[in-house]
Amino acid sequence: MNQDETLKIVIVGHVDHGKSTLIGRLFYDTGSIPETRYQEIAATCRAQGREFEYAYLMDALEEERDQNITIDTASTFFKTEKRPYVIIDAPGHKQFLKNMITGASSADAAILLVDGVEGVREQTKRHAYVLSLLGIRQVIVTINKLDMVGYDQKVFRQVENDIRAFLHSVDIIPSYVIPISARDGENMATRLGGTPWYTGPTVLEGLDTFENVRGDSDLPLRLPVQDVYKWDGKRIYAGRIETGSAQKGDEVIFLPSGKITRIKSIEKWQAPDLAQAKAGECIGITTEDELFVERGEVIAHRSKAPAKTREFRASIFWLADQPFKNGRTYTLKLATSEVQATVLAIEERLDSSSLEVTERYAEELMATEVGNVLLSLKGEIAADLFSDNIRLGRFVIEDETFIGGGGIIRSFADRAGNATRRINLSEQFSEGEEGNLIDLTRERGSIEFDVTIKFLESLAQGNRILFRLRDPGQIEPVALLAYEHNLNFSFSRIKDQVNLILYKEKVPRVIDHPEDGGL
Amino acid sequence: MYDHLDELEAQSIYIFREAYRKFENLAMLYSIGKDSTTMIHLARKAFFGKIPFPLVHIDTTYKYPEMIEYRDRMAREWQADLIVGSNQEAIAAKMSPEAGRMVCCGKLKTEGLTRIIEERDFHGLFLGIRRDEEGSRAKERVFSPRDKNFEWAYKDQPPELWDQFNTTFALGTHVRVHPILHWTELNIWEYIQREKFEICPLYFAKDGKRFRSLGCMPCTKPIDSNAVTVEEIIAELKVINTPERAGRAQDQENAYAMQKLRAKGYM
Repeated sequence: MNQDETLKIVIVGHVDHGKSTLIGRLFYDTGSIPETRYQEIAATCRAQGREFEYAYLMDALEEERDQNITIDTASTFFKTEKRPYVIIDAPGHKQFLKNMITGASSADAAILLVDGVEGVREQTKRHAYVLSLLGIRQVIVTINKLDMVGYDQKVFRQVENDIRAFLHSVDIIPSYVIPISARDGENMATRLGGTPWYTGPTVLEGLDTFENVRGDSDLPLRLPVQDVYKWDGKRIYAGRIETGSAQKGDEVIFLPSGKITRIKSIEKWQAPDLAQAKAGECIGITTEDELFVERGEVIAHRSKAPAKTREFRASIFWLADQPFKNGRTYTLKLATSEVQATVLAIEERLDSSSLEVTERYAEELMATEVGNVLLSLKGEIAADLFSDNIRLGRFVIEDETFIGGGGIIRSFADRAGNATRRINLSEQFSEGEEGNLIDLTRERGSIEFDVTIKFLESLAQGNRILFRLRDPGQIEPVALLAYEHNLNFSFSRIKDQVNLILYKEKVPRVIDHPEDGGL
Repeated sequence: MYDHLDELEAQSIYIFREAYRKFENLAMLYSIGKDSTTMIHLARKAFFGKIPFPLVHIDTTYKYPEMIEYRDRMAREWQADLIVGSNQEAIAAKMSPEAGRMVCCGKLKTEGLTRIIEERDFHGLFLGIRRDEEGSRAKERVFSPRDKNFEWAYKDQPPELWDQFNTTFALGTHVRVHPILHWTELNIWEYIQREKFEICPLYFAKDGKRFRSLGCMPCTKPIDSNAVTVEEIIAELKVINTPERAGRAQDQENAYAMQKLRAKGYM
């Protein structure tokens, strides 16, 4: 590990659970406060006739001193022997959730602060859930203010159990749960002896075990096109490799357009003739074929391409003052793509502090609420499930001009795992032992059919065709075909699959055993 | 091996490219300092050696001659389109810190900038501020709108997450874009060391003094130092325990000086 690698941490928790004090203590214990700043704060406290407040270290703005709460995202810095840290501060006050998310969205790790006397509260849970939605997996829970209960182990264990149970429900396994007193400094940088029953690391020791979160080079290549520059006789696709790596000469596909070409060169200023580039690098590429693709397309390897989708289910968190409304159309931004998205349904509205479903098929989500929604896009985009690739599985929603909320893709509703496949029915047609058969059980993605006149004539002559379908979802494209060409069909369930018979006749004949070749 | 400087660099390049794509009429505020100069280097990385927008320097006429010499020489080397702006009226009226530092900064810097932005109708302006410089800058967003009166509504800023920025703003606003907001003073020096680009000579010690932060002559004081190389400056910064802008008098006026200046459109 490089000594200079900065780890970005966010500190979250319920209002008044002692966040500013904890941050001030981290500063003090690591000797990170400039002497002049320390004197200035000491003077301010004296002038106000109060004890030295660590909390003041964080509060650079006038309003905060007056209201005694942190109002916006701010960054401050401290160092351990191992490395520097930046604290992306997030407020504990309910109305400022958007600032917390702004801060926490770029964090490598989080400290979730719980007051040992008050226990787990509404915002503790809400913030923990947001950490989960943001994909932050390195989490320390600190149980604070234990000096007020004489460092009673029972109190600690009770709160520890509560918070572990909740975190489990949002897929977070805390790395450490640490009993502390931020005011006294217990288990912050050193063990002061108040908790002989605790054998785990101090807060600083715990932080030092975490790693920087970066784009993962081992995942499949995802290079969203950020811009196209036509300079010096070259057409350069500029972008940052979100995950994976790209080599000169690689065959790549641009999605959603589906255009295929090879990487002719990888471009970086002052770095001629690059052979490859990895996750996290901002590069440009030129291609062997002259393509006309725009910002928003994603460059990937063909065998490991993202999905093309125009309908998916997502968990979203809403931050804007105006509610998020069912039926409305918003601008959705995912990586570099932008598309109009209509809310088909707010399938579940959740209480983000209890995670209980408070309403099914809700009409709106209010600020700070979370929900599971179904979105329909005006055009296709390339995307991944959040569980497969965090960077291509998350998006923001703009409410008019400003970012109003964010979301993560849980599942594709259009079975977009694969691109739509066009099937030429005449070619697929086989006259097997069972008669005229079209077998679609191996098709996994969405399908569309190309129909020839010969195929329709064959049906008009009274021929019947048996379709073997993988699942009931495939009935729809066949039904559409029947609708468009005035055909009939009947189907039956065979275990998990479907047998469907397509024919052109006024009155269908009842078929008892289509499997037995009853055509 | 991809390290923290690579990550910072990539983040800055991403911001540059995002702003260049989203705003028609862009400019970069160039202060001649190490941060601005780092920004130029990053812009050239983002745009494959080019600087596809003008640089704006607001000249208060109180700058050190070494700064102006360096500025003009570098602009030629970069083949940059350099615009030098100033508030001629205030300069003619002999504005100086004697009128009060806050008044002087407001007239010569903020108003000088306001005029150029209006004259040239810039919609977006790159600024090299950093979160670790002082409190109010710590609260900035990467894309930060200023209204018609150049004011910053720091209490009600829209969220920014996952490198998705707010890029649609009301008519009449201009947007401040901060490509190196997430860098620290030390990062800047480490990067200068790694990339080996030239910075203004005033940063290096001469007769036991050097500038840690550059500004106008009457309001900028050098620090005691014998650091004459980038390496020695880095070594010095690792043990120093005073704020970077301690030598900048306008910051010391009162506890909220910078907050007040910045809410009115100061850099």
